[in-house]
Amino acid sequence: MEVTYQLDFAQELKKCVRCGKCRTSCPVFHELRGESASPRGRLALVKALQTGDLEPSEELADRLYTCLLCKTCAVDCPSGVISDEIFVAAREYLAEALGQPLMQRALLRGFLTRPGLHSSASSLMRLYQKSGAAAVLDKTHLIEHLPEKAEAAARLLPDVAGRPGRKRVREVTPAQGEKKYRVSYFLGCATNLLYPQVAEDTVEVLSRNGCEVVTVDDVKCCGMPHLAYGDVDTARELARENLRALADAGSDYVISDCASCSATLGETYQHLFDPGTPEQARAKELADTVYDVSRFLVEVTGIEPGEHQVEATVTYHDPCHLSRAQKVTEQPREVLRAVPGVEFREMAEADRCCGSAGSFSVMHHDISAKILERKIDNVEATQSEVVATSCPTCTMQLSFGLRERGSKADVVHPVQLLARSYRGK
Amino acid sequence: MAAGTGMVTAAALVTDMLKLLGEERVFHKDVDLKTYTYDSSFVSQINDFTPEVVVMPTSTEEVSRIMRYADEHGVAVTPRGAGSGQTGGSVAVRGGIVMDLSAWNDIVEVDEVNMQVVVRPGVVHADLNNHIASYGLYFPPDPGSSEWATIGGMVANNASGLRAVKYGNTGQYVLGLEVVMPDGQVIRTGGLKSKALKSVSGLNLTGLFLASEGTLGVITEVRLKVWPKPPSRAIVVAYFDRLEDAAQSVLEVFKAGILPSGIEILDDGAIRSVNLFKPQLKLPEVEAAIFFEVNGSKAATADEGRQIEEIAKKRAGSVEMATDPKRMKELWTGRQAIGAASARAKPNAARIFAGEDVCFPMSKVPEALRRIKEIGREHDTMVVIYGHIGDGNMHTAPIIDPLKPEEVEAAQRVAEAIHRLALEIGGATTGEHGVGFVRAAFMEEEHGAALEVMRRIKDCMDPKGIMNPGKIWAGEE
Ligand SMILES: Cc1cc2nc3c(=O)[nH]c(=O)nc-3n(C[C@H](O)[C@H](O)[C@H](O)COP(=O)(O)OP(=O)(O)OC[C@H]3O[C@@H](n4cnc5c(N)ncnc54)[C@H](O)[C@@H]3O)c2cc1C
Ligand code: SF4
Ligand code: SF4
Repeated sequence: MEVTYQLDFAQELKKCVRCGKCRTSCPVFHELRGESASPRGRLALVKALQTGDLEPSEELADRLYTCLLCKTCAVDCPSGVISDEIFVAAREYLAEALGQPLMQRALLRGFLTRPGLHSSASSLMRLYQKSGAAAVLDKTHLIEHLPEKAEAAARLLPDVAGRPGRKRVREVTPAQGEKKYRVSYFLGCATNLLYPQVAEDTVEVLSRNGCEVVTVDDVKCCGMPHLAYGDVDTARELARENLRALADAGSDYVISDCASCSATLGETYQHLFDPGTPEQARAKELADTVYDVSRFLVEVTGIEPGEHQVEATVTYHDPCHLSRAQKVTEQPREVLRAVPGVEFREMAEADRCCGSAGSFSVMHHDISAKILERKIDNVEATQSEVVATSCPTCTMQLSFGLRERGSKADVVHPVQLLARSYRGK
Repeated sequence: MAAGTGMVTAAALVTDMLKLLGEERVFHKDVDLKTYTYDSSFVSQINDFTPEVVVMPTSTEEVSRIMRYADEHGVAVTPRGAGSGQTGGSVAVRGGIVMDLSAWNDIVEVDEVNMQVVVRPGVVHADLNNHIASYGLYFPPDPGSSEWATIGGMVANNASGLRAVKYGNTGQYVLGLEVVMPDGQVIRTGGLKSKALKSVSGLNLTGLFLASEGTLGVITEVRLKVWPKPPSRAIVVAYFDRLEDAAQSVLEVFKAGILPSGIEILDDGAIRSVNLFKPQLKLPEVEAAIFFEVNGSKAATADEGRQIEEIAKKRAGSVEMATDPKRMKELWTGRQAIGAASARAKPNAARIFAGEDVCFPMSKVPEALRRIKEIGREHDTMVVIYGHIGDGNMHTAPIIDPLKPEEVEAAQRVAEAIHRLALEIGGATTGEHGVGFVRAAFMEEEHGAALEVMRRIKDCMDPKGIMNPGKIWAGEE
């Protein structure tokens, strides 16, 4: 097995002392219980692959893809094992070693084992065609299987009304009041297609807080879905294009309302390029300017209070890619507390993964649904009217879970409540 | 002695287990079996102990059926909890069946008035304590692996941990067990219907299964005595410029008539590692730190905490007393994490679990600490020391690059020398982790003729030698 994704497998794997601590909090292991579903087990499998003890196989791919990449194991590991990065790198290796047909079968296992899933997933089709996942799915020909298999998955999708986000915001939105900064708004695929209102609200909030907002038009998908599937080459290509587009926009900061996008731009890009190359230097420079929108409001601009009351009890779910990948946990809560009228209620296990993890909720619907159950229990225990979160896939997952329970609670991005306090509706 | 799959082929064994338990709870594919080849022992990482099949029973009946089958066909069975053991105990060194009991995690009963609980073997230690906290109860033994080790594994290893100095080991709380014997027969120790907190009726069969390490039968239910949870606690941390001063202070605290609930030592490498894992802890980087935990009534903890502070100050450079729950949690979980975090003591290295659990007489602890450091230097190997100094049970962690064969070899020599040191100065080769595969070679020297008696007990209870073969008894094969 070769060094890949800038990672030396042998050197990273040797740090795992097999203590077993990561069995404690892995949401997937909690549902499946066999050791091969635990982080330690997956690491042992990568090690067996690296030493040649195991050959690449469909089953091996299944075990390594049945993981949310939620980073819980990596953050909790006393020994400093970067498990999730090791899993991504191993996925890259497997995707190449196995080629299409086997990977396709491995990835579809989650679908195929569930009987009675029929068509009606056209909206899902649309999402996958338009979002960054399309390229991955095209490559593996997974897309052909989606329509007839994904009824349950289709239920995940919100009713997407009307125009995408990109059509709703101007290319340049001026700052209201004194212009403090020029910022590039990185509008991600899922916000654009599924939650276009979030795009409008993000731009409005940034503008109200003294930013001239450039919605960079020719950015591409951040590359997270590709990385998750082990397609590092495409992710690197997308990173190149985004680095260029964002450099061209010439702003002080790059802002995202999607936890996955800001994590990928701000944390992952630097690992995609060889150390010492101009691209890596550019990725590092970019990393210093990338901010999740809540963090930006709290740490850079300060929050301009709204004039209108937003009477609501609100709880907050921490997306993995924000809390663990970027250590941003307090800032979104501060945004919520700054909204007049909001009563904030902390939920138990707020930073436990909701089970969505991009398309994990589609590929492993049953496991994902069980992980979601626990999250919804925790949400409901707070008796909040609104759940705020900073990631579109979490939003989709939480909305789905609440709908299935018959709950009326709303799921929003924190900046949406702030925007409401500015607008009065 | 039986080994592996006995009189059946691996394929037949798998088919038969599938018939018994069904697809969901039987693993037989390579990718799953490879994740049952290890526990945390280093030995299991450098050997290939792949079992033929893994089963996950969740009822006494299922365990009994599997054992009857194994007995009939001479198949080896290795019980397993979370696989957090450090001795290769839960690894099938002779192949055959690994019985993973960690998914069988029901808390069957909490009897508040009689202060006891009944649990299935897979219940995790911390989960039990979280559950019974609402009844004002707790199960005091506190292993560093509390968040993932199972009660079954704790009983089978007679585990203890950070609070053993006052509360002893798991065995002191076990009132009775349900055990499936190697031939499938189900027995109950401690009285069939007993809810008594004490019983001396008959031979102490419960005691026989403590530290039996899965070699005598499968523990399928545990009746545990639990205690009222003390309302208050405090942690005093003392930082010393000399390792030996730290050890001396512990003796002085005992001399003053104080019995802390926990006394833990961290040497310089351990302190550095914890700081690297949890930078917010900000422990002063001196040669040794001692964590004293006291618990009880508010007045008693305050008073004892203050006394310990006074005593420690005589030798320590600085002393910190924590009563804030957040700080106490940080300190305690920081200490619990050292087992794996000690890998951070040296860049580009890992710790290995080998020679990691020696226990010394209290009077010899200062000498032992010095000599362990000398052993490390002699073999050019960094050795981090931490652990339960309050009862002389020291954890020693060789920090090496496991990819370098010469460093691995040196670490193995260090482990051997540390075991020998324990025997030489009147200690034990293992205070709580057990013998398993890794310490079997020392048993003869440690126990002499008593080992033969142990062997006879084993032969009587497991005449076909199918229960966890290759452990405790060296030369068994
Ligand atoms: C970081 C770390 C810290 C630790 N700290 C401590 C500590 O402070 N104190 C301490 O005592 N130990 C400690 N340990 C060691 C270990 O966690 C304990 O020995 C624990 O009790 C093992 O439980 P387990 O569920 O992981 O058992 P396993 O490792 O799976 O098994 C241990 C042994 O028990 C047998 N067994 C398991 N379940 C059963 C059953 N139901 N019936 C019969 N036999 C069974 C197995 O065959 C094996 O021999 C630590 C380990 C680690 C990795
Ligand atoms: S990844 Fe970390 S926590 Fe998990 S077994 Fe390895 S060392 Fe322990
Ligand atoms: S990243 Fe999350 S789901 Fe994947 S192994 Fe780690 S804890 Fe489990």
